[in-house]
Order: sequence, then C-alpha cells, then structure tokens
Amino acid sequence: MINFEQVFKRYPGNLDALQNINLKIISGELIFVTGSSGAGKSTLLKIISSVEKPTSGSIFFENQNLTQIKNKDIPFLRRRFGMIFQDHKLLYDRNCFENVTLPLSINSMTKHDSSRRVRAALDKVGLLKKEKMMPISLSGGEQQRLAIARAIVSRPSILIADEPTANLDREYADEIMNIFFSFQQVGVTVIISTHELPSSPIKYNHFHLNGGHLDASSDYVQLPL
Amino acid sequence: MRLAIMFNYLYNHFQAFIRGSQRVASNINASLMMFIVIGITLCLPCAGLLLIENAGQISHNIEHEAEISIFLKKKVDKDQIDFINLALKKSSLVKKIHFEAKLIAWDKLQAKLNLQPIGSGISENPLPDAFFVSLNTLNSVQIKEMIQNLKIIEGIDNIVIDGSWIKKLRSILYLIKLSIGFLGALLIIVLIVVIGNTVRLQTLTYKDEIEVSKLIGATNNFIQRPFMYTGLIYGLGGGLITVGILKLITVTFNKVGDRLENILGTLVTLKGLPIEYNAFIIMGAMFIGWLASYIAARNSIKKFEVNK
Repeated sequence: MINFEQVFKRYPGNLDALQNINLKIISGELIFVTGSSGAGKSTLLKIISSVEKPTSGSIFFENQNLTQIKNKDIPFLRRRFGMIFQDHKLLYDRNCFENVTLPLSINSMTKHDSSRRVRAALDKVGLLKKEKMMPISLSGGEQQRLAIARAIVSRPSILIADEPTANLDREYADEIMNIFFSFQQVGVTVIISTHELPSSPIKYNHFHLNGGHLDASSDYVQLPL
Repeated sequence: MRLAIMFNYLYNHFQAFIRGSQRVASNINASLMMFIVIGITLCLPCAGLLLIENAGQISHNIEHEAEISIFLKKKVDKDQIDFINLALKKSSLVKKIHFEAKLIAWDKLQAKLNLQPIGSGISENPLPDAFFVSLNTLNSVQIKEMIQNLKIIEGIDNIVIDGSWIKKLRSILYLIKLSIGFLGALLIIVLIVVIGNTVRLQTLTYKDEIEVSKLIGATNNFIQRPFMYTGLIYGLGGGLITVGILKLITVTFNKVGDRLENILGTLVTLKGLPIEYNAFIIMGAMFIGWLASYIAARNSIKKFEVNK
C-alpha cells in the first residue's frame, strides 16, 4: 500500500530529519512509529500524508509516486487520509458537530447527508451527547476523541495519528488507543507515532526511528494476541 | 452524474456564500465601516457623473436651438429676399426663421450703443439684411450641406454658424468626463487596496481554519470562496450606499433649487441617474469587492501552504 524507497528529508540548516528510509506498509496493518523526540516520527507521518515532500527518494501510495504528485492534486490525496494531530487542531469557534462536519463540507456533501455520518462518528468516539458543546469545554481526552471523529467521518482507508496520546493520562490514552484498535479491526490501516508501545495484547508492526534512521530491528515486530 | 457534480458545485458555492455572509455579520461594525468607505469613495466619481449627465442634457437641449445667421449682400431687392425666405421655409432642417431688415438692425444698434448718426462719423448703414434661422438638427454634415446649397443662391453674402460655443461646451464636458474617468480609476485602485487589505487581515483571523482545512484536503479555491463572497457583499453594501447618497444629493439639490427659483428666475433641477446607471454602479462595486478579495485571499492563502 505504502512504499518508502531511500527517502531522505533535510530541513534548512542541514538538519537531516530522515535518512535512507526504506519501509513497506500493507493495507489493514496497525503500525507504531516510535522514537525519541526529534527522531523523525512526525516528519515521516507528514511525508506519508503529503504535508511535506521528501528531499530525495520515492514514496509510492497505491502505485502512485507521491514525490511526483502535482500541487493541485495534493488536496484530493489528503482526503484519502484521516489525520489526527498531537495538538488536535480543532476549530475552537465551532461546536463539536461543526468541527466533524468540516471534511464532509470540503467534499461538498449536503447537510442532510452529512448529519447522519457526523452523528455516527461522534457516537463511535462517545461524544454524541456533546455535539453542541464547544471544544474548549471538553477535556484533553475528549478533544482528542473529537479529532478522531473528524478524521474518520469521511471514512478514510488510512488513519495517521501523530502522538495522539501525548499529554493524556494513562486512562485516557488507553481509551484513545482502543478506538484506534477498533478501526484497525474493521480493515482501516492505522499509523500511530508514539513514545511507547501499547501494553495491550494486539498484533501490530513497529518502526523505530533513531536520529532519522530506521532501526534494523524495526521490521515486523509482532506481539501475540 | 454530471447533474450531481453540478449540484455539488452549486451547493459548495451556497455554503461559501453562507460562510461569507456569516463573516460579514459576525463583525457587523467593521463591515458597516467598509460599506461606508466603499460607498463614499465611489460616490466622488459618481457624483461627477451625475453632474456631467445633467450638464450634457442641458447642452443637448441647447444644441437643438442652434442657429445660423445668413447675411445678405448690400443691394438685394425685395423679390430676392422673398425667394431666400421661401427657400428656407422649404428646408426640412429649418425650425424657425427670423428676418432682420438692415434699417431696423441699424436702429437697434444705435439705440443699444447710444450712437448719434452725425456724432458717430458713420454716414451710412453698415449692416446688411439678415436671416436668423433656428435649426432642428445637430448633424454637422446636414448643416454643412444646407449651407453649401444656400451659398449658391443669389444675394447671400455670408453664412455664420452660431454653434461654436456649443462645441466648446461639449469639449469642456468631455475634458471633465475624462478627468472623472481618471479620478474614478484612481479611486478604484484605492478601493482594491483597502478591501484587499481588510480581506487579507481576515485571512489572518481565520488562519487556524485555513490550515486545518488544508490539512484535511480543502483546495485553495474552496478556502478562498467565502472570502470572495465577503468581498462581493462589501461591494454590494458600498454600491447601495453610493446610490443612496446620489439620490440624497439629487433630492436635496432639487429642494434647494425650488426655493431659489424666485431669486434665480429659473428652475434649476438635477435629474437622478437612470436605473441602468444605478445597477451598473452596484454591479461595478460588487466586481471591485470580488476582485480585491480574490487577489488578497489568493496571495494570503498561498502563504499558508502546509506542503513544503
């Protein structure tokens, strides 16, 4: 599904965020990308979702070379990913329902059609009863769940979450992780960057980044169910 | 399928219009200020246009009363004068004929200048018989043709067209129109800068929304649309204010004109601009608003590019 071939990313100031990354992600997998701060986890996820372009190398997504994609096609590519950010990136002047509607309005879906989908997404993350509330009145965990609802409302085939449980206590973090696991179980490819691997007995693949390099031991670490 | 795409596209615009309207309404004080700025700025060239249109109307009316003066030779008998009179009456271009006999004209001149025939040193009447003819056309080709035909008639010495001052008036009006055109163009540029700057500041206010929208797959056109509708609404509001101010000017001027009728001895009225002019002003203002917001939003949104 996603193939990285000798991918490098260098930021201005000769900072090599990623060096010679080769990896393969298969459809329906649950992937954890780990590493210390500055290891290149966020950069990797940004490159997958075409938020950033690599300095060199090739990335193939469903046989399409993302390094050659035209700027005008990038928005349409991004619509195929559900993205969750560490800082949620919610719109604080809109209520929960309106936040979740945003991807659907970008897809020109009518209010009538989108309402059912939005409520289903909010229900999935346990926020249906809070649809009229403003994000600022939600707890950190709830805000992250709202961000997940926004990411899944357009039913993407890939979910990309950049440190979704950072700044959350253990209980909330487990809650969020369980939501991701439930999506993976229905066939969605889930890519999560995190500092630590889950303790739950679940099958996943693991890529560990160290100073922009992918550790050799990263390939296909699988825990028993 | 095509119908569905069309529907989606229109629905998208409808949503953008609603968002644009909400942005105008959510900051109503600033929006009203913007309406007033556009309204007053556009009012300056439009008020000039109003005056020019009225002045043009007056000159047009005067032009229809343009005259030619036909001076006869010194020794022309009465039969020849009657013949010329008949020829003029037959012409379809002639509206009114007035014959001024040289003796009467001489008496009038003397009375006017208070001259005594002996004291003035002029022994004989220097004035010729003359026809003063009002024309019902402005067509210079027709008038020239008529003069050519008249000149070959026996007894006619000289023909003078008394319309040169109209040409001068028209030239002055043309120059004023040109100046108003330049002033208008400059003010339109000012408006584009002012509206553009306001829309640019709005894009900064909605920076988070723009960035999030980009991250989840919104195209630049999608993000830009509400800003363009905001510009369009600014233009509409400004255009309506301009039309309102022009109406106010007309009504006020005519009320004062009524009061001054006794003093001036004539009724001076200002005619309002025709409805198509008003529609043009409003649509022009909307176009300026749209253009300014298009330029500003496009440049601003590009700067928020998340893809590097």
